[in-house]
Amino acid sequence: MSVAANESELERARLAAEERRLVAAAVKGSSEAFERLYRLHAGKVYGLCLRMTGNREAAEDCTQEAFVQAWRSLPRFEARSSFGTWMHRIAVNAVLARGRRRTERVGAAESIEDGLMLTLADGEIGDTGDGLDVEAAIASLPPGARQVLVLAGVYGYSHEETASMLGLAVGTCKAQLHRARQLLGQRLGTEEASR
Amino acid sequence: MNGAGHGERPDGRIDAALASLPRELPPARDLWPDIESRLEPRRRRGAWAWQAAAAIALVAVSSLVTASLVRRADAPVARTSTQASQAAVMPTTFGPSYSLNAEYDMARRQLATDLEQRLAGMPPSARQKLEANLAEMHRAAAEINVALARQPGHPLLEELLLNTYQDELGVLASVNQLTGTAPAATARQENVKL
Repeated sequence: MSVAANESELERARLAAEERRLVAAAVKGSSEAFERLYRLHAGKVYGLCLRMTGNREAAEDCTQEAFVQAWRSLPRFEARSSFGTWMHRIAVNAVLARGRRRTERVGAAESIEDGLMLTLADGEIGDTGDGLDVEAAIASLPPGARQVLVLAGVYGYSHEETASMLGLAVGTCKAQLHRARQLLGQRLGTEEASR
Repeated sequence: MNGAGHGERPDGRIDAALASLPRELPPARDLWPDIESRLEPRRRRGAWAWQAAAAIALVAVSSLVTASLVRRADAPVARTSTQASQAAVMPTTFGPSYSLNAEYDMARRQLATDLEQRLAGMPPSARQKLEANLAEMHRAAAEINVALARQPGHPLLEELLLNTYQDELGVLASVNQLTGTAPAATARQENVKL
């Protein structure tokens, strides 16, 4: 084991210990500890929500809802997975629930184009050339394909995990990912579009 | 997570582009005040529920610890610990009325003894960093233990504490492994998984 790997493990263990201490305190009712957990994880949760919804306002709503739900569910949190992974699952549920509510209310999914324009207008997602193109291309995908691509392609969840989070069959998840990659390739003008 | 998306076409530009995106995107405004205003105070569970949970957790933890020690049966015999190693390793307790098995503690003390020897040969900055990180783990264990004393047998707190002990063992073992051959690697493999 290299020194770098050892230091990395040490840092991971320290952060994990700090996180467990905060979770334990939050379970007891400490909102200060929960705020610290929010500060540690807000960027990851918000990033996931923003990419899944393609809309800043929706991402803020979903992030807030996810942390409120997490506070309520914390006594039932099982520490076998990390707090961050658990938060991601709750955030995905918040995004899906919001999508269902909007569909019921207006009869159509949120306008991706509007979301994309909001996001790009703010320059919130990426501002470094290729990254901006990729983020814009992801935001322009249809909701189903986008959600699968974000979870599997960006955040590295397996097909099984992605399917479980989104309530899909694994085969559907794979098909959506294939479609998403094709569409993304077309939008980015890469050679993968024709594969 | 295993990167299903990244694994399908490892040489594709799309994979590279997706993998290069930052995982964290901080929100443009602080969302905490709105979140905090929606948090309800925690309600305490009834005493009967805690007693039932405590009984279940105690059986589960006892089984786990026993299983780990059975697996550890052929591991090297622990040496007598030094005063310094006592300071390097935290006492392993579960709330006010339950302690981890003495053999398990002995194995941990052996790792701590080895650690003291390794620390003596480490540069001061590395030693300081290691001790600071171990101190954070000890702090976490101590505070979770305090919580356990108030809520005996709480399954989540038990699990958080076990995970903290596992991480401490992992760090002790990896330090020993890095700085020389020691039985720590064996101990880690057999003990960390309680």
